[in-house]
Amino acid sequence: MVILGGWQLGAMSAVTSPVVQGSAGTGGGSNSATDAAASGADAGTGTGSSTGSATGRSGTSTGAGATGGATATAPQAAASGIDGTYTGATMSTRFGNVQVQVTVSGGAITDVSALHLTDADRRSVQISNRAAPVLRNEVLQAQSASVSMVSGATYTSMGYLRSLQSALDQAGF
Amino acid sequence: MESPLGAFPAMGTVVSVRLGEVEVELPTDGALVDGALADGALAAADAAFARWEARCSLFRPSSELNRVNRGQLALTDASPEVREAYAIALDWRARTGGAFTPHRGDGAIDLNGVVKALAIAEAGVAIERAGFARWGIDAGGDVLVAPVTAGATPWQVGIVDPADRRSMLAGVDLGARRLAVATSGSAERGDHIWTAPGAGPSPFSQVSVAARDILTADVLATGIVAGGHDALDEFAERFDVDVLAVQSDGTLLATPGWPRSAAAVPPSAAAVTRPAAAPAR
Repeated sequence: MVILGGWQLGAMSAVTSPVVQGSAGTGGGSNSATDAAASGADAGTGTGSSTGSATGRSGTSTGAGATGGATATAPQAAASGIDGTYTGATMSTRFGNVQVQVTVSGGAITDVSALHLTDADRRSVQISNRAAPVLRNEVLQAQSASVSMVSGATYTSMGYLRSLQSALDQAGF
Repeated sequence: MESPLGAFPAMGTVVSVRLGEVEVELPTDGALVDGALADGALAAADAAFARWEARCSLFRPSSELNRVNRGQLALTDASPEVREAYAIALDWRARTGGAFTPHRGDGAIDLNGVVKALAIAEAGVAIERAGFARWGIDAGGDVLVAPVTAGATPWQVGIVDPADRRSMLAGVDLGARRLAVATSGSAERGDHIWTAPGAGPSPFSQVSVAARDILTADVLATGIVAGGHDALDEFAERFDVDVLAVQSDGTLLATPGWPRSAAAVPPSAAAVTRPAAAPAR
C-alpha cells in the first residue's frame, strides 16, 4: 500500500465556493469581487446579480436563486454602492423556495446566505438522499486486515504522509 | 488475493496499482508471464498518467495547458484531449452551480480538478487491455476499481480519519454499486485554503464521495468541501452518490446509502447500505 498526496494542493485555488444559497444550489448571488474569488463566483450558473467594485465604492447586490434560471432581482441598489445587507426576492425552484441575502462591505460582497427554504423542500430532500448526522460507530468500519486501499484528502503534508506510510508499512499493507 | 503490484510517481503524488487474477490465457510458465503481464499493465497505467501530465500539468512549463495559459497556444489549437478535458470541466462547473470550476482566480485554466480522475480512468482501461479483469488504482487517495464478478470479494477501502490520520474513520466496499471513492479536505488544521470572500472556511474538514465513476466522486468531493452544507444537500440529491462528510467539529454526516456498520443499520436502511455481494463484515 502506497499513499502519498499533493496533487490536489495545486487545485485548491481553482475551487472557490460560490454555492452559497439553498439546496437549489445553482444561482444565488454572484459577485464581481476583483480578487481571486472572481472567477469562481462567476462560475455560479446564471443568477444573482453583480456589482462593480472597480470604483472602490461599496457594491451591493441582491440575488434570488433559481435553479439554472436567469431570474434574478437586481434592484437599483446595485448602482448605489452602499454597504449593507440586502435581501432578494423569494424565488421558486424545483427544490422549493429560495431567498438569498447578500452583505456588502467595503465594495465587496462579504457574505451570501440562504434565508429561506420551504419546509416542503427540506422534506423532499430528506426523504431522498440527504445526509444526516451519524455516530462514528454507526458507519461501516474499515477492517484493517482486509483494507486494500486508502482514501484520504491529498492536501496532507509530507510529514503526515510519511507517517501514514510508515503505519501502513508496519501494518503490512 | 491481490498484492501491491507497484507504484509510480505522477502528478505530484504516488499512484498505487493492485492487480487480481489475469484474464488472458497464460502460454507457458505462469509466474514469469504473469509478472511480465503485470509489468506491462503497470507501464500502461504509468503512461496514461504521463500523457495527462504532459497535456495539463500546471507545474510543467512545457505542458500544453501552460502554453495555452501563456497565450502561446490557442485553445482551439490544443489537442483534442485538452479541449475535451476543458469541456468536461466546464460541464461540471455547470452541474455543480460553480462549486467546481476550471478557472483559477487569475483567469488561467486549471484542469487539476478533472485531470487526475481522467488519468485514473484511462489507466484503468489500459490495465484492462493489458489483460487484467480485477484491478484497483489508488492515486493519492482517489480510488477506482474494476467491477468485481458476482461472488468475488469487493475491494475494501479505508477512509482516513482527518483527526488522526494514522487511523481510519470508516470503510467502504467498492466493486459493485460503487466503483470509485474520492476524498477531499479543506485544509491542514488552522488555515483555510478554501476561504473565499463571503464564504469563510469550509464547514467540512473532509468529504468522501463514493460513486460509479471516479470523475463524479472526485469533482463532487471537492465541490462539497468548497460549497459546504448546501452543496452537500444538493449534490446528494442530484447525483447518484454516497457521501461521508466530517464536519469541522469532528462529527459526521452521511447519506442514507453510505455503508453502515452491521450492528447499527436500521432495518429500513439495510437494503441500500451494502452491496448484495459484500460480506457481512
